[in-house]
Parts: sequence; C-alpha cells; structure tokens
Amino acid sequence: MQSSRFWGQGDSESEEEEEEVESEQGSDSEDDGGRGAGGRGTQNRYLKTQEDDSDESDSGHRVIRSLRDKRNDEMRSIVDQMRNAMKINDWVSLQESFEKLNKHLEKVVRVNESTEIPKMYTKALVLLEDFLAEALANKEAKKKMSSSNAKALNAMKQKLKKNNKQYEDQIQKCREHPESFEDEAADDIDDDTDDDEDSGAEIEDPLEVGSDSEADDKEDPDNDNTGPWTTVNKKDKMDKQFLKDPSEITWDIVDKKLKEIVASRGKKGTGRIERVEQLTFLTRVAKTPAQKLEILFHVISAQFDVNPSLLGHMPVKVWKKCVNNMLLVLDILQQYPNIVVDTSVEPDEKETQKGADYNGTIHVTGDLVAFLERLDTEFFKTLQCTDPYTKDYVQRLREEPQFLVVAQNVQDYLERVGNLKAAAKVALRRVELVYYKPQEVYDAMRKLAEQPEDSVEEGDAETGDEPQAMDDNRGPPPFVVIPEIVPRKPTFPDSGRTLMDGLMSLIYKYGDERTKARAMLCDIYHHAISDEFSVARDLLLMSHLQDGVQLMDISSQILFNRVMAQLGLCAFRAGLINEAHGCLTELYSTGRVKELLAQGVQQSRYHEKTPEQERLERRRQMPYHMHINLELLEATHLICAMLIEVPNMAASTYDKRRPMSKTFRRLLEVSERQTFVGPPENVRDHVMAATRALNKGDHQKAFSVVSSLEIWKLLRNREHVLEMLKLKIKEEALRTYLFSYSSCYESLSLNQLTTMFDLSEQHAHSIVSKMMMHEELHASWDQPTKCIVFHSVDQTRLQGLLFHMADKLSVLVESNERAYEAKTGGTLEGLPPRRRGEGQDSSNLGRWQENFVQGRQGGGNRSGYAGRGGGSGQGGGYQRDRGNQGSRGGYSGGGSRFQDGRGRNQSGSSARGGDGGARMVSLNRTGRV
Amino acid sequence: MADHDLTARLAAHLDRHLVFPLLEFLQEREIYPEEEILAAKLPLHAFLRDPQRVQLLRPDKQYNLHMLQDRFQIGPDQIEALYDDAKFQFECGYYSDVTAYLHHYRVLSTNSERSVRALWGMLASEILTRNWVAALEELNRLKEIIDSMNFSSPLNQLQNRIWLMHWSLFIFFNHENGRNGIIDMFFHDRYLNAIQTNAQHLLRYLAISVVVNKRRRNMLKELIKVIQQERHSYKDPVTDFLECLYVNYDFDGAQQKLMECEQVILNDPFLGKRIEVGNSNTVPIRDEFFENARLFIFETYCRIHRCIDMSILAEKLNMKYDEAEFWIMNLVKSSKLDANIDSVSGTLIHDINSFCRHEQIIDSLKNLNTRSYMLAQNIVDMSQAARQEDKGD
Repeated sequence: MQSSRFWGQGDSESEEEEEEVESEQGSDSEDDGGRGAGGRGTQNRYLKTQEDDSDESDSGHRVIRSLRDKRNDEMRSIVDQMRNAMKINDWVSLQESFEKLNKHLEKVVRVNESTEIPKMYTKALVLLEDFLAEALANKEAKKKMSSSNAKALNAMKQKLKKNNKQYEDQIQKCREHPESFEDEAADDIDDDTDDDEDSGAEIEDPLEVGSDSEADDKEDPDNDNTGPWTTVNKKDKMDKQFLKDPSEITWDIVDKKLKEIVASRGKKGTGRIERVEQLTFLTRVAKTPAQKLEILFHVISAQFDVNPSLLGHMPVKVWKKCVNNMLLVLDILQQYPNIVVDTSVEPDEKETQKGADYNGTIHVTGDLVAFLERLDTEFFKTLQCTDPYTKDYVQRLREEPQFLVVAQNVQDYLERVGNLKAAAKVALRRVELVYYKPQEVYDAMRKLAEQPEDSVEEGDAETGDEPQAMDDNRGPPPFVVIPEIVPRKPTFPDSGRTLMDGLMSLIYKYGDERTKARAMLCDIYHHAISDEFSVARDLLLMSHLQDGVQLMDISSQILFNRVMAQLGLCAFRAGLINEAHGCLTELYSTGRVKELLAQGVQQSRYHEKTPEQERLERRRQMPYHMHINLELLEATHLICAMLIEVPNMAASTYDKRRPMSKTFRRLLEVSERQTFVGPPENVRDHVMAATRALNKGDHQKAFSVVSSLEIWKLLRNREHVLEMLKLKIKEEALRTYLFSYSSCYESLSLNQLTTMFDLSEQHAHSIVSKMMMHEELHASWDQPTKCIVFHSVDQTRLQGLLFHMADKLSVLVESNERAYEAKTGGTLEGLPPRRRGEGQDSSNLGRWQENFVQGRQGGGNRSGYAGRGGGSGQGGGYQRDRGNQGSRGGYSGGGSRFQDGRGRNQSGSSARGGDGGARMVSLNRTGRV
Repeated sequence: MADHDLTARLAAHLDRHLVFPLLEFLQEREIYPEEEILAAKLPLHAFLRDPQRVQLLRPDKQYNLHMLQDRFQIGPDQIEALYDDAKFQFECGYYSDVTAYLHHYRVLSTNSERSVRALWGMLASEILTRNWVAALEELNRLKEIIDSMNFSSPLNQLQNRIWLMHWSLFIFFNHENGRNGIIDMFFHDRYLNAIQTNAQHLLRYLAISVVVNKRRRNMLKELIKVIQQERHSYKDPVTDFLECLYVNYDFDGAQQKLMECEQVILNDPFLGKRIEVGNSNTVPIRDEFFENARLFIFETYCRIHRCIDMSILAEKLNMKYDEAEFWIMNLVKSSKLDANIDSVSGTLIHDINSFCRHEQIIDSLKNLNTRSYMLAQNIVDMSQAARQEDKGD
C-alpha cells in the first residue's frame, strides 16, 4: 500500500528523500534542540492531513473500517478504564490496564497500517506520567496505600519509565503542544464516525496515506530501533535506498541490508511479517542468482518464523507464498547448476557475489530438506487445527498437490545432485502423503492436480489473495529474472501403488533407519488398504518392526498402530477372522483405542491430564482425513471376537478356561448383567445382540442384526464382505450348535444340518469332519446314511482335573528342562536327542488331550506347533539364526515369528497381551513425560 | 499341458548346463512346441558344437597341464589359470575332466571365494556326469560352507541357499538315500525359510518327498502349515491335494486333485523319471506317490467314519471295487486297520476304539515321570562330576 506511492512519484522526490535519509543517519546523535521547530511543522502538517482525510472519507470501505474501528474503540475503553483507576487511586487495576494498553497498541498500529502511534496512546502516557509523579510526590498518601497497591505503584514506576523512553519525543511533543493532542483525543472520544471515515479513507487512498507516512518519516527520524512499528519505517527507507537507479545498487548494499535484517531476527519489536516483506523485497534487487538464492533462503526461514508457537500453524497465505519461494529456489538451482546448496561448507564472505557467468561452483548455505519437512509439518498442522467440517479444511486439502509438486521437484533435484540420502527423506514425506489414500482417493487427487491451474486460482481469488498480488507488484522489477523451469504441476503415475513402489525402492536403498521403518509401515498400510493381506503381512513380519516398535518415536508408534488396525480390517475383508482378531485385539485390550490411533483425546476417569500432556497429545493427533473409522474398526474387532469366542464358550462349558478375547468376554458379561435389553443402538449393542442369537445357533438373526449396522456401507466391496460374514456366521453357528447340543443327540443327519444352517452339504461335511478330526466333537460319520453318530464320552470332574494337572506338570517339567539347558549352555548332553524327541511328543500329546478335553482351542495342527514352540533348544536356534540373517534373509525369523504370533494368538493372549500392554504403556508413558 | 510346469522358474536358479537335461526332458514329453525348446537350447548348443572354439582351447589347456607337470614351482598365476581352464572345459562340455581340475585347484588355491566357486563347478560337473555319490558329498561340503560363511548381505546368503536347493534336486531324486536327504535339508529352518521367502515352488518337491517317504510322516503337519502359509504365492495340484485332505477334509476335492497330480508328476523333469522294468516303462515316484496318497485318504476317511460303503470308498481311492476290497483286506489282515468288512451290505465297519480316559491320563503322566527322572539323573551326574573334579584338584 505504502509502496504504491513510489509508482506515482518522480525521481526527483525520491532523491530528495534519499538525501533526507542520509542526513538523518548522519544526525542521529545530534541534540534534540533543533527538533522543536521541525516538530511544530510536522504537527501542523499532520493536522492538515487529518482534515484532508476526513474530507475525503465518504467513500470508505465498510469492511475494513469495522475492524479498525473495533480496535480503536477497545483502546479507547482501556484508556477510559485507566482514567477511572486514576480517580480512585487504584494502582493495581491501573497496572493491568497499562499492560493491556501496550498489548493493544501493537494491534492498533497494525490495523491502522500507519507508523504513527495513536495520539490517544501518547496522551494516556502523559496522563499516567503526571499522575505517577503526583502519587510519588504525595508521600503520605503513599504510606496509606495497601501493600498490593504500593507494590503496583512501584512496578508501574519502573515500567512506565522504561516504556516512555521509547516515546520520549512524542511525549515531549505532547507536553509542548498539549492542545493538538487534546484535539485529537477529544476528536477520538466524541466523534467516532469521523474516526471511522478517517481510517476508511486512509485505507482507500494510498496517495494520501503516502504523504501521511512521508510526514512520519520526517517527523520521527531517530526512533528507528525502538518501537515495533518502526521497522515499517525502516522498510520505507530501504525502499528508498533501493529506489535508485538499478545500476547504482551494488551487491554490497544488498548484502549489508540482508545481514541487518537477518540480525534483527528474534529481537524484540521486530515484526515478523514485516521481516518477510523486507526480505522479499530484497530478493527483487539481488544482484546475482546466488545472492538471490541466499536471500530466498532467508525469506523462507522468515516465513517459517511468522508463527512462533508450536501449537498454532503458519498462516495459509504465508504457506502458499513459501511454496512459491521454494519453487523459485528450485528454478534457480536448475538454471545455475554450478550453485550448490549445502550446510557443510562455510561459504566465503563474498561467495554470492560471483555472478551468473561464474564458472566454478558457488556454495550457498541452506537445507532444502529441512525446509521441505517444515513445510510438510506446517501443512499437517493446519489440517490438525482446522475444523474438518468446514470449507477451509477441504480448501486446504486441495492444496496438497502444491506441496507434492515441491516435494517432487526437490527430490528430483537432490537425485540429480546425488544427495540420495536427502532424497530418501523427501521421498518419505511424499509417501506419507500418499500412503493412506486408496486408489479412488488417489485418482481424485490426480485429477485435481491435472486440472487447469485457473480453476484452482479462481478459488484462491475468492478467498482473497490481493495482498500477494500487490506484493508481486511492489518494488522495481527483479534484477535477476528466473524463468519458471521446474514444473509447477505434479505428475502422478496411474496408480498409487506404482508411485509408492518407486518411492519405496529409493528409500530402501538410501534411507536411514527411521526413514526406512516409517516407509515400510506406510507401505504395509497401503498394501492393507488395497486388500493385499498376504503381502502386507509378509512385509510386516519380514521387517521385524514388531520387535522394535517400542523403541521408536511416538509418531512412528502411532503409525504402527494404524498399520495394525488397517491390517486387521484387511484381514477381515479377506475373511481371515483369526488374523483380523490377532491384529485388532491388542488395540482394544486397553480401551484407549482413540489415543493409540491418535484420533481424538480420550478422557480417562482415573487420570487427570495436565495441560502440558494434553497439548502434547493434541499435537500428535491425526488430521481428520487420515482417520480410520473407529466404528468400523470396533465392529470388525467385536465381530471377529464373537466368531471366535462364541463356539469357544460353547465348547468349554465345563471349565472356565482362559478366554480368547478378554475384552469381548467382559463386554458380554456386562451386557448379560443388564436387566432390560433394549434394541441395539451402537456397534457394541449390535454385536452383543448378535452374540446372543449366535449362542443359540440362530444364525439368521445374528446376521440380520450385524448387517443392520450402518457402517458397512463404508466398505468398498460391501456385498462381498457381507456374504463372507454370513458364511462365517453360519459356520460358527453350526459349530456352536454342535458343541452345545451334541450331548442331546444320538445321531444327526447331515441333511438336517444343512437345512438348519443353510450350508452346502460339502461345506457342512467339511466343518463337521474337521471337528471330528480335532477331536472337538466325539462322533463319526455313518457314510451310507450320511449321519453323524455321536459317541457318548463322559468325563467326570475328577478326570477333567487330572488332565489339568497333567498339563500343568508337563509345563513344569518343560521349564525344568529349559532351566537345565540354560545352565549347561544349551547343550543337550545327558538327555539323548531321541529321548528329547519323545519328551516333546509327549508334551504335544498333553496339549492334544487338553484340546480334546476342553474342546476347541484352534486347530489341532496349531496345537501341534504350540508343542513345537516348547522345544527351547529349537527356539534358541531361531534366535541365533535370525541374528545371522539380518533383515531380509530373515524371513526365517519372519516365519518363526509369525508362528510365534499364531501360537500366541491361539494359546490365549497372555504373552501377546503382555507384549501389547508393554507397548501401550510405553506409548503412554512417553506421552505423559 | 504346461499348466503346472515349473521349468522356467527352476531354470532361473540353475546353471545353464544344468538346464540342459531339463530341456531334453521337456522335449521328450512334448509339452512345449519343439521350436521353443530348441530356441532355448540354442545358445548352449551353438557353443558346444563350435569345434573351432573347442580347438582353440586345447593348446591352452595342454600348456597349463604342461606347466603343472613339468615344473613344481607353480606360481599363483598358474593356479588361477587352472581355474580358468577348468571353467573353459566346463563350458565346452567336458564335465568329467573338470572335477579333477577343480579338485587340484582347490588343493592349491588360497583364494577362498574362488575355491567356493570351484566347488560349485565341481558340483555341477558331478551332477552332469551323473555321479550322484560324489555329488552328494560336494553338496554337503558346499552346504557347510554356505552356512558358516559370513556373507556380505543376508540376501546373498539366501540366494546361495536357494541355488543349492535347486541344484540338489538333481541329486536327491537320483541318489538312493535322496528322499531322506531332501526332507532333512529342506526342513532345516534356514532352508525352509529360504523356500518361503523366494522359492515357494520347491514346496512341490518337498510335498512329494514327504508323501512318498513313509518314515517321515511326522513332517506332514509342518509341511501342511507351510503350504497354508504360502498358499497365496504358490499352489499346484500336489499342495492342493494335501490341503484338501488335511485342512478342509474335502475328500472329493482331494480325489480330484490327486488325478491332476498324475500329469504334474509325469511332466516334471525331476519327478517324472522313468525306469524300465522289463518291458514296461514305469515312473517309480508316481507309483509311490499314488500308493501313499491313497493310504492317506483312506486313513483320514476311516478316522472319521464308522461305517463306509465299499463302492464309494473304492471310488474315492481311485480303484475298482474288487481291487479295493482286496486292498482293504490286506490292511485288515496286517492289522493296520481295526475294521471288518460286511460283505453282504458292502460296507466297511470301523470299530471305534473308545479310548479310555484313564489310559490317557496315565499316558500323559507316565512320560513326565521318565523325563523328570532323566533330568534329576543329569543334575546328580553333573554335581558328582564337579565334586570329583574338586577332589582331583
């Protein structure tokens, strides 16, 4: 805005100004004596502009006015408060008001877009100073004050002294010419509309404002380094400095200015946005491409500085500009391949002076990857903070391709340069934006990215991108013109899988450990959502990520949990109930699934969180579009648990042995305790209702209850999944029925079963045969009549207990043997191998019988490997082998690991649960630090 | 015809010389069009049948031999030359000489990497000269080296193991003790993992050898587990058969798969080896496989049935009624089967040995006793030994 006046003004004036600036710099240390006269002049001029403003104010914009108006009003009310406080001599509230006033001042100045301190403020300062002096002078009154009041008074004294130093001359002016300030103040107070119009005009008429600020420049030449708004002045000056004929600007001037601005970083009173603007301006006047690059780096980091807090996010507009800057950087780097960006080499003082025609390499300090990662983080944060149900959120999501294009270009650049490690990091960022997208979403993104730029731009224009446009126009045309070389549009391969594969291979080759682990997890996730369970499972097992997940950082642990959840869903869709249950049970064992997936904060009844913890947790949250549907997840988990647990419960009516899914059992108990069972409302109720039906073998009702859940429509291949579910329910209903009621039958025809459970003859035969084989069902087929003939196998309680004892004893002996082996260094001396083999067999047998007695505990062959796991010598072998083979060849480890997993799955969840517990705790613990 | 042919997958892991016999087998079986096989054979043939190049080699080799024999001061260069020479011999197809050369080379050489390569060379030549006993020795030596050597990358080791397994197929299906050998080797954890990782097709050979080998029945469970795990990456009628029978208990399916197995076995270069007994041409592995598979089906079937119609049983077993009756009679007679044939109604009635609970409990506990006893004995022995040592000191 202020810049626009430079367009309209002739050279002569700018030169004049230049002189002035120089003289100002020269006379910085001069005494204030000469200012009296000058001050008068400015004051008059000021008054005049004031009048001018109000004259032309009729066509003011309402929109802008309101905000300004509000700020000014607020300030005025604060001043009023102060006056009141003075009247009652209340220093405590006075101090408060003063602080509020100071805070407000900055806002007002920004809104007013003038460099001038509001008169109101100066006036208040004067008032306060006088009152303070008076209070201090009145010793008796001071003694009478309450202690808090006196303390406040003292604090006020210090503060005011410090504060007023900044505005010394203003105050002085005010004292000398109280009437002008009085005027204005009065004006402010009783004529609000006037003020409004005034501000409106100021916004509207740049020329006027121009002269206004020009006056300011002359007026307060030596408060350069004080107030926050003075930087604006500085910029003006800078503009002037650079408004010279382009040829006159040298590299040195730019460099000096750059250093000055850079040095101002973090200093109190440096406006962050202003810094960005200044630096952006500098990029235009940079003399060499290298210098331009250097300044651009500073611009980008200044842009990142705009938002100081960890919680908030960078403003979207700044983010967009930042993206553009990154692209510009890449343009430069592409056009001048001799410019090298790195952090290792300390560049020469004059390194960037080397021009475009310089042949050798030019080093510029900077870290593209860090910038890119920051960009990504900021993007992520915006999404975290935005309400997902608003248009903003969608708008923001649409900007994802913009980031992807930068990332793609940076990666290309890094690959070209040969910095493959960094390229792998960038690739990971890209992966993390793509991995959770199923093919449909991916296609949508691709289409969006391929859309002509205009339509997207239009959207931008609607939201108001004028300041940016103005930014581009301000200042002289850039010295170093960089054409757009790097593509501004991302190119996506047809399927998300191809993209992932390409990025993956890069990461696996060159990435560091964490990058690889995360990328692997993303890859598994992506496989899981594309319904490739076996591939995903193999990847997970081969990578041994499960072993080390507790040691990873929290965000990776969350990713891991997400992967497990998605893997569970994938297994469920594929009809692998046991696997799905194995994946999900851990997540649900603690009841903190939201926290584990970082999809919302769960309030714990017993544990109050400190705000600090809450903030940390909030920072970890996943943006909404990456969420895994919790209802679907819960339904999947509970249905899997139901399908496993219901026959299991029916089989083990004799003894209360370890349940397969404790969570499910608990829920079931709770629902059974209810005196009145209403119609199902949530997911849990539905599954419980289905469980009750299934318990009686009523598969139709069970299925109809389950399928009435709303969430199934979220599934891609809904029909198929429901069909699978129906079949599974029928199967388990058949098994449950046989478990529960086999004792009531002497024989049962296959025909009857097939009609009861609506299964094909072959299928029913296969299920029943399996049960017979695993000795879960004591019966055999009578082939000519196609009947099941049941054998009456009665077991007394004593026998049952004896089996228990036998089993426990065998465990004891096993552990004894293991201890012995450990003692003798794992050698098997003394125990001849043959004997050991027998021993193992017998333990196997023991298990087998346990199975037989207690009904189903997973397949018989599985109990086979539970027994095998008992041989600790073998186990040790695995361990060693795994160590040898490292990550890839160690499918070995993977295989055995999987068996372990399976073994644990089916032998109840103590080991696994413990494992999981540890993981949860660790996540939690680190979370609470 | 070529549905379940593994040659292409196998060939990727074999030396091209070793592929040659496979191709010849295929040619004989006429699975593929003649031209394709010839085209695959061509590069090798072209080389072997180029007399000039073979001629070229001659002087060189003789020169080397000369060097070796005449002068006892043999420098490292000559030793390396020996290796190169052997390699060349191999390429030319004079396999029998190669073994001798490489043997000398291994004795003389200090270069460990090359000496391992020489070992591979020896193995290949032994295989190609059909000297199975020697080949098995080489195989074991190589296996030891691969297991003990620390490779630069695990992937490398894995690859070596997979090669070794492929090459070993030649030996195991020809050597007399090969059927035990293949089970021992392939079921070794590391090799089993290698199979699961990158060579799932080897499961066919493993499955067949387990089925055929009566004494190693206990491996069946593990095999089925592996087959189930790898179901998504490899399946053929042989593995399907086992899965139908032991996972789904789908006897009709198993029956059907068994029929398919015949073609697979006949078309497989390793399995479909013919032996001429008298006039007839038999494939021993096929016969054994069928015999055992039938037994498997029968066993499983009997286990869950009390009463079976003989005619259906015969159908399931892929036999004629009389044949089946005779077969079952033999089983009953040799007291392998606890059943009687009801000839009038044409059924087989299986006695359910209603197991006694007490017996089971006693069984499981008896074993514990012996184990604990052994353990205690060991500990006592150990402490006594320690005491004696103390005294000795």
